[in-house]
Amino acid sequence: MSLEAPEPSTHADVGVTEEGLDYDALESLLGDAVIGRETHVNAEAFVVRPDRVANALSVLKEEAGFDHCSCVTAQQYEDRYESIYHLKKYDDPTQEVGVVVPTSVSKPASQSGESVYRTADWHEREAYDLVGIDYDDHPDLRRILLPETWQGHPLGLNYDQEQHQVVPLTEHANPLQEDHQEGADTMFLNVGPHHPATHGVLHLKTTLDGEQVADVESDIGYLHRCEEQICQQGTYRHQIMPYPDRWDYISAGLLNEWAYARAAEDLADLDVPEYAQIIRTMSAELCRIASHLLAVGTFAIDVYGDFSAIFMYAFRDREVVQNILEDLTGQRMMFNYFRLGGVAWDLPEPREEFFEKTRDFLDELPTRLEEYHNLISSNEVLQLRCVDTGIIEPEVAKDYGCTGPVARGSGVDYDLRRDDPYGYYDQLDWDVITEGGCDNYSRVLVRLREVEESAKIIEQCINLLEEWPEDEREIQSNVPRTLKPDADTEIYRAVEGAKGELGIYIRSDGTDTPARFKIRSPCFSNLQALPEMAQGEYVPDLVAALGSLDIVLGEVDR
Amino acid sequence: MSLVDILGNALGLGPLGPLEDLLLSFVGAAFVGTFILLNTAVAGPWAKRKITAAFTDRVAVNRVGPFGLLIIIADAVRMLSKELIIPDGVDRPAFDLAPLVLVASALLGFAVIPMGNGIQLADPEVGLAFLFAVASIASVSLVMAGYASNNKYSMLGGLRAVAQNVAYEIPLVITAMSVVLFAGTLQTSGIVSAQAAPLVTIAGVSIPSWYAFVNPFAFVLFIAANMAEVGRNPFDVPEAPTEIVAGYQTEYSSVYFVLMYLGEFIHIFLGGAILATVFLGGPAGPVLPGIVWFTIKIWAFFLFTQWARSALPRVRIDQLIEIGWKGLLELSFVNLILTAVIVGVIV
Amino acid sequence: MIGLLKGMATTMKHALDGSTFTVEYPDDPPEVSPRFRGVHKFSQERCIWCRQCENVCPNDTIQIVMDEQRNGEQYNLHIGQCVYCRLCEEVCPVDAILLTQNFEFTADTKDEFAYNKEQLKNVPWYKDIDPLASREPDRGAWIGEGEGEVDYQ
Repeated sequence: MSLEAPEPSTHADVGVTEEGLDYDALESLLGDAVIGRETHVNAEAFVVRPDRVANALSVLKEEAGFDHCSCVTAQQYEDRYESIYHLKKYDDPTQEVGVVVPTSVSKPASQSGESVYRTADWHEREAYDLVGIDYDDHPDLRRILLPETWQGHPLGLNYDQEQHQVVPLTEHANPLQEDHQEGADTMFLNVGPHHPATHGVLHLKTTLDGEQVADVESDIGYLHRCEEQICQQGTYRHQIMPYPDRWDYISAGLLNEWAYARAAEDLADLDVPEYAQIIRTMSAELCRIASHLLAVGTFAIDVYGDFSAIFMYAFRDREVVQNILEDLTGQRMMFNYFRLGGVAWDLPEPREEFFEKTRDFLDELPTRLEEYHNLISSNEVLQLRCVDTGIIEPEVAKDYGCTGPVARGSGVDYDLRRDDPYGYYDQLDWDVITEGGCDNYSRVLVRLREVEESAKIIEQCINLLEEWPEDEREIQSNVPRTLKPDADTEIYRAVEGAKGELGIYIRSDGTDTPARFKIRSPCFSNLQALPEMAQGEYVPDLVAALGSLDIVLGEVDR
Repeated sequence: MSLVDILGNALGLGPLGPLEDLLLSFVGAAFVGTFILLNTAVAGPWAKRKITAAFTDRVAVNRVGPFGLLIIIADAVRMLSKELIIPDGVDRPAFDLAPLVLVASALLGFAVIPMGNGIQLADPEVGLAFLFAVASIASVSLVMAGYASNNKYSMLGGLRAVAQNVAYEIPLVITAMSVVLFAGTLQTSGIVSAQAAPLVTIAGVSIPSWYAFVNPFAFVLFIAANMAEVGRNPFDVPEAPTEIVAGYQTEYSSVYFVLMYLGEFIHIFLGGAILATVFLGGPAGPVLPGIVWFTIKIWAFFLFTQWARSALPRVRIDQLIEIGWKGLLELSFVNLILTAVIVGVIV
Repeated sequence: MIGLLKGMATTMKHALDGSTFTVEYPDDPPEVSPRFRGVHKFSQERCIWCRQCENVCPNDTIQIVMDEQRNGEQYNLHIGQCVYCRLCEEVCPVDAILLTQNFEFTADTKDEFAYNKEQLKNVPWYKDIDPLASREPDRGAWIGEGEGEVDYQ
C-alpha cells in the first residue's frame, strides 16, 4: 500500500502525447510482460502474462501515471478465463488502458493486482466469487457476495443453475456461542445486518477496544440480486433499461440508466439527438439532487438521532423533485425513461406548466439549502463531531478507487461530467465542487454544494429547452428494433453517478444480448475504504463515516 | 400545610393519628402518582408525536379520536398485548428489576416537589438533597438493565449511561447549591417561597425574584446539566439508536419496554419539576392556580427537550465526558464561588 | 453557540408556520401525473395476439396461451412480479395493453396477483384518467420502429 505521497514527478507520464495516448510507447514500457494487444472501443488493451500482472500494473501506475484502477472485470470464454483491469488517470480519465490477463480453463490462476491497487482486493474477490479465477498472493481470497458455503461460481460457463445450494446454519458460527477470549481486551461487535445506521443490509464485523474501533470488516452480499446476470439475459434494445433503476435505487435511477445508455450507444455506435441530450442532462441532475438530499437526510439521522428534523425536510424537498420526475418519466423511482438513442418521452404537455413547476423548485432551493446549512454545516456540535473524523487522505482515496463526493471531499478533483464529457455538460456553465478536509464534514458539505451546481445545470437546460424550436424536438434517433453489435466488441464506459463513477463493461457476442455485462459500482469501491476512515475512531464516528460514504446496498451488492 | 393535612381537612377528620396519617399519605401518593402518570401518558404516545410532527412539517396521529388523542389507549393496549420476550442468558432478577427501579426512582422524586395549591407529599428539611439522591438511583437501574441484558449494545449503553450520569450529576448538584446559598435552605418549599419576593417592578408589573432571573448563568448551566441528566439531545448518547441501537433498552419488550419508556418520560418531567422548583419559582405564577402553572412549567421543559431533539446533533461519548468534566464542572464551581462571594458581601 | 441557536430557530420556524407536507392518504387520494404507470388493463377486443408484449417483457411477467390456430386463449399477467417498465404498452401496436394510473391493489397471497385476462379487463381507471389520452401526443415519436423487421405473428 502506498500511503506516502508520491514524489513530485519530474518527468511527464510515459505515453502521453499531443494526439492522445501513444499505446506503442506503453507497450514497450511493459516489455516482455505483454503477449498481445486488443482493441476495445474505449481504449487499447494489453494482454499480459498471468505471472507478470503486478509488475505490469505497477509500471503502468508509476511510470505512465495510471493511478485509478477503475474496475476489474472477469469472464470466462470457451478456451480461457480473462481478467481485465480497466485503468484510468484521476487527472484525465479519458486516458484509459486495459490490462487483459488470460488464464487457462484448467487452472485459472493469475497474479493479484492488490499489491499495486488496494481497490483490486474486493474486485478480485468478486471475480473469484462469481467467475472462479484464483489470484495468487491475494491477501484474502474469500467469497464476497455469495455465502461462504456456496458451491460453484455462477458466472462460469459450466455452472449448473439447477444445482441446489445448501447453506446450513451449522456451517456458520453460532451467534450465541461464547466469544469471550481469556486475556483479550477487545470486544467483537456485529454492527448489522439489521442495524438502524447501516442504510440497508450491511454487516460490519467490528472489533472494539473500549468504544474505539480497532478493526472493521464489511460483510456484503445480502442484497445480491444477480443484476449482472439479469442484464446478460436481456436484450440491448429494451430489456436491460428497466434494471439500472434498481442498482442505486435511491432516486438515482436516471443516472444509472445513463451509464448503460452511454456504454451501449458507444458500443453500437448510436447517435443521440441534441434535444434528447439536454433532457437527459436535466433529468439526471434532478436525480442527483434527489439522491444527495436523501444522503444528507440519512446522514443527519445517523448523527442527530432519529428525531432529527433534517431528515424530514430533506424528504420533503426530495418529494418535490420526485413529483417533477414523475411528471416527466411516469414513475417516481423506477423511471425506465432513457432509451438507446434518446429518451422515451418529450417533456409533458403543457410544457409551460412543467417549466414553471421546475423553476418554482429551483427558486425555492436556495432558501432550503440555507436551512440545511443552518441546521448542519454551521452547527458547532456537528462540527465537533464531524470535522477531523473519518479521515481519508487523497492518496489513500485514489488507491481505493474512491470516486464521487467521497473523492471530492478528499480534494481529489475528479468528476466525469467535466473530465470525460458526455451529454450536454460540456456546453453548460457549472463547477466541480471539492473540499480539502478529507473528513466526514467535507463529504457532506460537498453534497450540499453539489446540489447548488446541479440546480445551475437544470436552470440552463430549462432555458435551452424552452427556446428549442418546435420542429426540431427530436427525442430519439432511429435505432434498429433489434440491436446486434458486432461479435467480440468490448467497451468500458462510465458516467458520474450520484455516488461516483458508475461504469459499465459490455462484451458482445453478436447476439442481441450481452455476453458479459459488468457493473462498476461506485459504492462498492467507496465502501471498501471504510476501514481506513473508521479505524481508531469511536463507534459514533464509524456510523458517521458510513453515513458520509452514502452507500446504497443495492448498488454495492448488485 | 402538607397534602396529608389538606386531605384530612377535606375528609373532616380531626387531628390525625399515626394510622390515619399513613393511610392518607398513601392516598396522597396515589394522587400525585396518578397526576404524573397522566402527564406521561399524554406525553409519550401523543404529545411527543405531535410535537415532533410540528417540527418536521407533518400531521402525526389524527385518526383515532379527537386530535388523535385516543391513540393513548390504542397504544397502551398495543404495547401491553405484545409478547414479552426474555432473551437467553439474561440475568433474571436484575433484568426484571431494572424497569421498576427506573420508574420508582423518578416517581419518588415527586414526593418532595411542591406542585402548588398545597400539593406536596412531604417537605423534609433536606428536600433538595433527597431529590437529587433519588433521581440518581436511575443510573443504577440503567446499569442493571444494560448489564443484565446479555447484549453488547445494552452493555455499551449502560456504561455510557453511568459515565454520563456521574459526569453531569456533580455540576447539576453544585449549580443547585448556588441557589441554596441564595435561599439559605434545602427545603423545597423554602426555596420556592424565597423566590416569591419581587425582584424589580417595571411599569407596575413586578417580576418575582425567580433564580432564573437572579442568576441566569446558573440557570443555563443547570438546563445543560439537566438535559444530560435526563439523556436528551444533544446528550442522548446512552440510547443513541443509530449507534448502539437504543442502548440499555434494546432487549426490553412489551410491559418492560413500557416501563422503561415511562421511566424516561417521568424522568424528563422530574427534570422539569426540579428546574421549576429551583429556578422558576415552583408553582408560582399570575392568575392561574399553582398546579396549572406547575404543569405548564414541566411541559415547557418537555417541549424544550423535544425542540433540542429536532435540531441538535448528539455529541460523541468522549466529547460528552469532556464537556461534563472539563466544562460544566468548572463553570459550576465558578458559579458557586461567585455566588458565595456575592451572597456573603450583600447579606 | 450561534450555530446551535440558528438550527433551533430553523426548526421552531417550521413548527410555528403550521404548514404540513403530509398527504392523508386514503381520505385524500394523491394526484398522480398522467404518465404514471400503474396496474395494467387489457382489452381482448383490441388484442391481435401478436405476442410482442410477451417477448419484450424483461422478466417474463406476461404469459400468453394460444391454441393451434394461433387464437388467443389466455392472457396472464403477474402484477406482483411486474416491474412497471411499460415496455408492453410501448410495443403494443393496437393499444390492447395499457398501464392505468391505478396503484391500489392488494391481495392476501402472492398468487392472487397473477391476473388473468378477465381480471385485467376489470382493472378500474384511477380517477377516470385514460392513460392513452394523456400519452397519445408523442406516441408516434417514442415507438421508434427503426429498420428492423416487425413480426406480428
